[in-house]
Amino acid sequence: MKSADKMRRLFNSAAVQTNATPDDAVFEKIKTAYTRTVEHKSAQQEPRMWRSVMKNPSARLAIAAVVTIACLIGLSLWRTTGSGIALADVLARVEQVKAFRCTGSVSMTGEAAPGKPYQWQIRYICLKSAEYGVRARQEQVDPNGSLTLFGETYLYPQKKILIQIGHAAKKYTRTELDDAELQRMQKELGRYSDPGGFLKEIVACRHESLGRSTIDGIEVERFGTSDPNCRGGASGIKNPQVDIKVWIDLKTRLPVRYESFTAGLDQTGNRMSFRLVMHGFQWDVPFAVAEFELPPIPDGYEVADQFSDLANEETAIQGLKQCVELLGNYPERIDLIHLLSGVDKSETSAALRFKEGLKGLTGLGRDQKRMDALKPIRLLVKFYLGLDKKDPAYYGRTVTPKDPDKVLLRWKLSDNEYRVIFGDLHAETVTPEKLAELEAALSK
Amino acid sequence: MSRLGAMLEDKRLIWRLQRGRVDALRLIYEKYKLDLLKVAIILTGDINHSEDVVQDVFLKLAESYDRISDHGNLKNFLITCLMNRIRTIRRDCRRHQAAQFDGAALERARVSPPDQWAVVNEQMQRIAKAMVELPLEQREVVTLRFEGGMGFRQIARIQNASINTVQGRYRYGMEKLRSLLNGEVET
Repeated sequence: MKSADKMRRLFNSAAVQTNATPDDAVFEKIKTAYTRTVEHKSAQQEPRMWRSVMKNPSARLAIAAVVTIACLIGLSLWRTTGSGIALADVLARVEQVKAFRCTGSVSMTGEAAPGKPYQWQIRYICLKSAEYGVRARQEQVDPNGSLTLFGETYLYPQKKILIQIGHAAKKYTRTELDDAELQRMQKELGRYSDPGGFLKEIVACRHESLGRSTIDGIEVERFGTSDPNCRGGASGIKNPQVDIKVWIDLKTRLPVRYESFTAGLDQTGNRMSFRLVMHGFQWDVPFAVAEFELPPIPDGYEVADQFSDLANEETAIQGLKQCVELLGNYPERIDLIHLLSGVDKSETSAALRFKEGLKGLTGLGRDQKRMDALKPIRLLVKFYLGLDKKDPAYYGRTVTPKDPDKVLLRWKLSDNEYRVIFGDLHAETVTPEKLAELEAALSK
Repeated sequence: MSRLGAMLEDKRLIWRLQRGRVDALRLIYEKYKLDLLKVAIILTGDINHSEDVVQDVFLKLAESYDRISDHGNLKNFLITCLMNRIRTIRRDCRRHQAAQFDGAALERARVSPPDQWAVVNEQMQRIAKAMVELPLEQREVVTLRFEGGMGFRQIARIQNASINTVQGRYRYGMEKLRSLLNGEVET
């Protein structure tokens, strides 16, 4: 081989890549310059053109006719992005769909603490039918790329029953739901598999057509948004940079593919990113009832209470106790990522014992044992999230277990009553006036 | 894709770009950003300056889209813009001279902090380090041959020099590179 060829080969092996977040920022800057120039140049050209056209009487007549036709067409296209497809119409079509199947993947990367990266990826297949319910099958992607069957979920809205099988833990649950729980569960499952919800989000944000292409032989139009109000399934990410795209079939006007990428900071200020991809949509497919039937639970699987656990005041108190054992004090805020990261960093004897117990375990086994052991903390978080509309307040930043008279956590029971958990973890019901007094004492 | 196919695609992109289509701008950006970053890093030996220069080239394209000729090769057009930009910066600002090559900047880029746009592999680092030892004219000829796929006649036009001069620069440049990268390129 000639030395020039070897040199060329060496040059070919040299590679540059780009990081996604700054890459988006660079393009955004270029796009802004471009759109500004295009607008400026159009504004400069229009008057000249208009003057020359309006000098000619026959041109004036032709323009009048064109304007009339354009107005009529415009009435039917005014909601589009200029390409002929309006996402609002696509959303209306998706909402008419009675049943669909799709595949997808969710991946999260970030740092549990500075210098401690993590990566987690799940692939899933989801079947949704207005008649039969929802069935989802999840597989975890191991670091070496192999897939492990992780879990299965069956939701029967008519019967208000949720069944979850955890293959990694060899456990299963059967939960009867009330209306509010059913709604919450449908929303939770929809976080990763509801094209209608995602479209609604894009339609509500500033979005644009990104041109046409072909996916698997289907002619599609791509729409995108980088509006940070769009989250695409990600939640709890601060200062998000968002890139969301959806590809629409030009013939059926239904989604063919959906991708969302959100990067930013987690609750503890560490970097994290979330990516969701949905594809392989089959719209209005005729499902058989058998596809939604629960398969036999494999031998050796135990009934678990972890999915259906009731989070109440008592479990919240247990969770706060576990926080004190593992962290040495009450956490500054009740947030799962913050709490898990706090436990990882903690050096209390209970935390060291807890970490010692995880040594030697890897992958799903480690994750499962960790989640089981931290169940009280998880239930505390679940309980606190459930207080969302009950005027909750938490004072873990200032209150310690040695403060029996100070309000640690409170929430509203009714217009005349608040429930309070105090620093020593006893609970009382108090009037709003009494609560005001107690909270005034906190600031002293 | 064949060379002809790539040229036709570029012509279509330019046509759409000149009609105000943002999607065409995005496609051009996605298609050529890595090529331009690679050329810029080879020519300047500095990641941060390369990022600035490549951004400048795309910004120039965005602002002067109506002045691009659709007869030529878009990649070569962008590479030529890039080289002109680098020459201007070198002329205007002494801090861009090769003598002040910042090897640490390349090392940092390989480690890839999340806010760094470009990330390079080890081969890229080695080549960029060796290339900055060459005079700029020789560097340009070698880069345009290997990365732009250009002939000596075309390079001669860009450098405003005779073909013989360009061929001489290529020969000397290659010899120097061979000696600098002797472990990897044997004669």
